[in-house]
Formats: sequence, C-alpha cells, structure tokens
Amino acid sequence: MVDSEPDAPSPARTPRSAKPQAARATTTTRKAPAKSGTTTGTTTPRKAPARRPVKAAPLEPEKPREIVLSLQGLVKRFGDTTAVAGVDLGIDAGSFYGIVGPNGAGKTTMLSMVTGLLRPDGGHVHVHGADVWSDPVVAKRNMGVLPDRLRLFDRLTGSQLLYYSGTLRGLDRSTVVSRTADLADAFGLEDALDRLVTDYSAGMTKKIALAAAMIHSPRLLVLDEPFESVDPVSAANITEILRRYVAAGGTVVLSSHSMDLIQRICDHVAVVVNGAILDSGTVDEVRKGKSLEERFVELAGGSKIAEGMEWLHSFSD
Amino acid sequence: MAAQFLRLKLRLLGNAFRRSPWQLVGMLLGLLYGASSGIVAISGLISLRLVEAPVADAIVTVFGGIIVLGFVILPLAFGVDDVMDPRKLALLGIPTTTLARNLALTSLIGVPAVVLTLVALAQVVTWSRGPLPLLFALISVVLLVCTCMLLSRVVTSTAGFLLSTRRARDISGLVGFLVLVALVPVVFLLLRVDWANDGYRVLQGVASVVGWTPLGAVWSAPGDAATGDIGAAVLKLLIAIATVVLLWFAWRALVFAMTTSSQRLAHVRTYRGLGWFRLFPATAAGAVAARSATYWVRDARYHVSLIVVPVVPLLMMVPLAVVGVPPNVLALFPVPIMALFLGWSVHNDVAYDSTAIWLHVASSVPGKADRIGRLTPALLLGVPVIVLAAFITAPLFGDDAILPALIGLGLCILFAGLGLASVTSAQFPYPAVRPGDSPFAQPQAVGTASSLIQSFSFFFTAALSAPVAWLAWLTLIEGSKWALPTLGLGIALGLVYLAIGVWGGGRIFTRRGPAILAFSMRN
Repeated sequence: MVDSEPDAPSPARTPRSAKPQAARATTTTRKAPAKSGTTTGTTTPRKAPARRPVKAAPLEPEKPREIVLSLQGLVKRFGDTTAVAGVDLGIDAGSFYGIVGPNGAGKTTMLSMVTGLLRPDGGHVHVHGADVWSDPVVAKRNMGVLPDRLRLFDRLTGSQLLYYSGTLRGLDRSTVVSRTADLADAFGLEDALDRLVTDYSAGMTKKIALAAAMIHSPRLLVLDEPFESVDPVSAANITEILRRYVAAGGTVVLSSHSMDLIQRICDHVAVVVNGAILDSGTVDEVRKGKSLEERFVELAGGSKIAEGMEWLHSFSD
Repeated sequence: MAAQFLRLKLRLLGNAFRRSPWQLVGMLLGLLYGASSGIVAISGLISLRLVEAPVADAIVTVFGGIIVLGFVILPLAFGVDDVMDPRKLALLGIPTTTLARNLALTSLIGVPAVVLTLVALAQVVTWSRGPLPLLFALISVVLLVCTCMLLSRVVTSTAGFLLSTRRARDISGLVGFLVLVALVPVVFLLLRVDWANDGYRVLQGVASVVGWTPLGAVWSAPGDAATGDIGAAVLKLLIAIATVVLLWFAWRALVFAMTTSSQRLAHVRTYRGLGWFRLFPATAAGAVAARSATYWVRDARYHVSLIVVPVVPLLMMVPLAVVGVPPNVLALFPVPIMALFLGWSVHNDVAYDSTAIWLHVASSVPGKADRIGRLTPALLLGVPVIVLAAFITAPLFGDDAILPALIGLGLCILFAGLGLASVTSAQFPYPAVRPGDSPFAQPQAVGTASSLIQSFSFFFTAALSAPVAWLAWLTLIEGSKWALPTLGLGIALGLVYLAIGVWGGGRIFTRRGPAILAFSMRN
C-alpha cells in the first residue's frame, strides 16, 4: 500500500565510485525550482516521474539496478494491534538506507522480519533473490544483523564472541582470527578483546555486536539503532567504516531516531509511521528542501505544542 | 514524610497483587507458608507457658536465635529484590537520618514483620508468670522487632550494594547454597540426638551460649527474669539494646554510603586467547560446544547443576541409611542417579541463552549442530564421571561383576536423558533464570508448564532406560552372566536414543528458531 513505485528510488543509482555527496549536490540544485510546486500538499506522493528523465540521463547506462533487499506486502499483527501494515520496499545494492520513525512505529518489528528473527503474518522478504522465510540458509548468509535490545552471549570475551559469530557463519579458523584482529583495530576494541562482553560499557557492546555482524563479509547489513548509546567519536568511526563498506558495493539498512544523523550519512530514507511507510526515496526527495527533521515531524502528524504547564515556569526553590 | 513512605510501601505491596495469576499464586503460597510457620511458632510459645521456666527459657532462646538468624541468611541465599532500596530515593535529597528512619519504618509493613510481631507478642504469653518477667518480655517485643527489621534491612542493602558486582553476585548465591547444603548434616546430627533423654541437656548447652549473643539475648532475658536470675536478665537486655543501637548506626551509615557513592566498580578480569574455542573444531557444532563449555565453567547457573549432580545422591543416601538400607546396596545408587541428573541438567538449555539465541537464528545454525554442541560438555563430563563412579562404587558393593552392568546402566540413562533434552529444550523451553541473575532467583514468569516438563523429562528418561535397568537387576540377582549384555545393550540403546534425540531435536530447532526467540523475548 505504501511505496506505490518500488523502482522510484532513482533508476540512476550512483555508481560505487561516484561519491554520494557529489550526486546529492547536483540533485539539490536541480530540485530547487520544482520544490515550490510540491510543498503545497504534504500528502501528494513524490513527483518521481517528472524528475526521473532529468536525473537518469547521465548515469543510466552504466549500471543496471540491482535490488538486494525487497519487502512485499509485509504484515505483522500482535493481537489487535497491527505493528507493520503491509510494507513494500525495494532497496538497491550499494545504498545507505535509513529508516526513521517515532517510537513504536514498527521499525524494529519490520527489521526483525527482514532478518528472519520474527515470522511475518503475511508478505515476503527477499535478500539477493532468496526468500528469507522459505530459503533462510541462503538468504541469511548474505545478511549481517545487529538487533536492538537483544542479549549477546556476554559471558564470552570479545574475541571469543567474534570467533563464535564467525564460525557459526561457516568461516574457518585462520580467517576468523585475522578478521577479528582487523575488526578490533577498526572499531578500537583491541584492549577489550580479552574481557568479558558483560563487563563492557553500552557503547562498546554495540561496537562488538556490530563487528560480529560484519565478520562474515555479508552483502547486506541490517542494523537496528546502531548509534544508540555510542559516543560521538565512536559514531564517527562507525560511520566511516559503513561508508567505506557502501563505497565497496555493500548495502546498509539502518534505523535511527536521529534525523540529523540519517540526513548526514544516508543516501536513501524511508519514513515509517504506525507500521506504514509514509515516504521513501533519496534523502533529498523525501526532505523536499527542508531539513529531514522538519519533514519528518510534518509526516508524522505535526508537533504538539505544550500548553498548560505554566507552573513549570514559576520555579519552586 | 513517614506517612508517605508507609503509603508507598503499602502501594508497592498492593501492586504485587496486580500481576499475572501465577505470580499471585506464588505470593499466596508465600503468605500461606509465612502464616502457617507463624501459627506453629505462636502456638508453641503459648503452650510453653505451661512448661517450667528453665526448660522454656532454653527452648525459646535456641529457636528464637534461629528465627533471628533466618533474617540474616534468607535474604543472602535467595537474593531479595529490595523495593525500598535507599539508592532509589537518593535523588530526592532527604536528610540521611530521616531517610534511614523512614525506610526502617517501612520495613514494618510486610509479611515477615507482621508474623514476627505476632511471634514476639506470643512470647509475652510464655513469660506471663509474674510482673518482672512480663516487663522484660514486653521490652523484648520492641527490641525483637527492631532487631530483626534493622537486621534484614542491613543485610538486604549490603547484599544489594556491596555484592552488586556480577562476580560477587555469582559467588554469594553459590555460597548461600553451599551453606544450606552444609546444614543438612547438622539437621541429621540433631535428629540423632535422643531427645527424650538428652534433649533438654543439649538445648540447655546451646542456649547457654546463644543466650549471650545478639541472636539470643533478647529472647533469653525474660526467661532469666522468670528463673530469678535478674542480673543475667539485665545484662542480656543491655546486650539486646546495644545490638539495636549498633544496627541502627550501621543502617544509617549504609544509607549514607549508598546515597552518596556511585556504583562500585568491579575489578575486571581478563582472559587470554580463545580458551575452549581453541580446543574444538572450527565448525558450527564445535563452536556451540566450545561456547557451552565456556558457560559451564563461567556461568553460575551451570555451576548449580555441577554441584547438584554429586550432592543429590549423597542427600538421598542419608535417609535411606537412616531407615536401615545396608551400605553395600547404597553403593549402587550414585551412578544411576548422577547419570539421571547429568542428562536432565540440559533439558532447558536453550532458555538459559535468553534472547542471545538470536545469533543462532540469524546465522541459521543447523539444528543438529546446535544440539550436538550443547550436549558435548555434558557428554565430555558425564561419561568419565559415570565410568569413574562405577569403578569406585562397584567394589563398595562387594562384587566386581556388577561393574559392567553399572556402567551400562549409567551410560544408557545419561544418553537417554541427553537425547530427550535435545528434544525438550527445542520444543518446550520454559522460563529460566536470566543470565547474570542469582542462580536461585525465581524466573520472572513461572507456569505449570515448567514443573510438568521437569517431571516429564525425569520419568521419561527413567522409562527409556527401563530395559537396561531390568538387565542390571537380573545381574544383581542371577549373577554375572547378565553383566556384559547389560553393558552392551546399555551403550547401544543409549546411543540410539541420543541419535534420535539429536536428529529430532535438530529438526525442531531449525523449524522453531524464530518461535524460540519469540519465547525468550517474552521471558
């Protein structure tokens, strides 16, 4: 019901080599005149068709579009409440895809069904052509997963956890050991490898889980709130790692509350509210010239102005 | 302020009744238990009114001392969830003395306090034999309630504060358990006393010591007054008062420390290298085996199984020995019983992982590999233990011919138990203690399912091993010609059970992966 045109997120996928920033800069300038027309009605769907020929022209022939993750009519109900209400979404290989939504919008539920952790009530998920729910072994092999708020085997040391994640994914001993060293180096976890994960801080736990999700070099990374409780320095570090992964052809799908962050690091975004995707496309298409945060608040039903709290303004001593 | 605190505690108590029906049942059972033990104590104390003073004094002092000790040990062993932790109120900026006083007052609301107050009042009846003992008994009521409530507050908060690090928690739970286990022989020792003849002498001896300690002084003072030893009575009362005063200062200091200091930082231990992962092959099954082995060594919840396995046969042998079963027959018990418990110990293994099981689901670990990996530590530990125990106990029986039969039966029970555990842990996980909680904490949710599955796996394991047990029995009564067949059939049948269990359990695990994860997220 939502994304009526699954191929809308630009037939003109920027090729790996071209940095997204460059592409984005051109689109913004091009969009400026068109915008005045679109802003009037927030409910109007994207004007992708109008834009497509312009954008497609220079890059089209170089790379045929390859959808690495597709969701079709995904539905999940918990009792009477519908957590995910028929989501369709196609994500191209090489995208840095952000999923934003308010608390309880169904982001985690959606990503859990994508990663094969939660059985959907209806619909299909394909990863690189393999159905997650009827051909899980192939589909999951291509996927690295960072779930939100699930435990780790935290009585293992950091290096044991990475080794465990790697061998469960079928890597051999020497590969895991060398990749563990690389990952520890990249995430700045060298000093923590010999300590139990249960003694880690929240941010470090997030980092080791992220490292574990990457150890089998998956085609697709599905990350639920990867930046929560991560300090800014580590967040910048993680962003850099993910950017390079995307530049090399990998695909990242991540969820976050932080609009700023999504606007900064993602090239595509989907806005999820009440289990449905209200808008999706490149970040510039979705934000329509405003900041992503303003656009998001608009889509999510406007901000509520706090009234009747005057007592808060007369301070008790 | 005090009224607000008391209302808060009442509200917290009331809300405890608004949880799931099964928790309600648990609470009501607790209430029933408290009420019935209280009634026993109260009626005992009232009937002691008719017993002559020195005897009553000894009895009241000893059992009273045990009650006070209970307020120290029970919170430590079972890890009470402290709803009125001073740290929760640290941000309200209440002066320490006020906070300490109000928190101590709130501990007067609750089942233990009510039962204790009634018991203390019943003790007044015991000593209603003249104005002086009555006066001492009335003072004792106040002192007793103050002592026990402050004591339980101090102990609970100490446990929550000083033992707040993970490692300390793991250890303290185990220590508490070991203390309880160590009490068993003491109980049997006490049972062996010829109470009809020596009872009073023994009690008198214990009471003469306990009566001068903070545990018993408060109970003993009215008794001394009744027997006419006023000097001793006054001294004991002073001891009791000093105890309350000291406890108050300890409590106040603890509240101050808890509301002003930050979390205690644990000394973090480091582990070199990959440990068990080095020793097992780098396959999915090998990795799961190494992970399981690591948990058996590091996780307090598995330590409990490790302790239970050798302790249970000993505990079972004691009453059997008391009823007069000959020792050489008793020697036959440990092997099958240990095998039964070893096989049973992993029947809910998946639930121990809690939500960390997502890693197996997301990595699509083959069910068979998961099953084999989880059984490996139990097998590696169990097989040598069974064989070794058989070698030790067969000579004790007095006939070496029984040895092969014992090994065969033990291995069959172990393999059957593990095979069954493979299926039950995938198909019927039930709520377990969560990682990092005290191994004796109650799981958040309990249901009839858990006890049903527990007893089912016990009896079904025994039923599966029945043919081999029959052969072992024949060996026992008809002689050694059955010994080797028992060994052969035991191992063969056991391996068949194991293979079927791993195969079936593996299929179930592969199919139910997401359902198992969903289950673990609910608990």
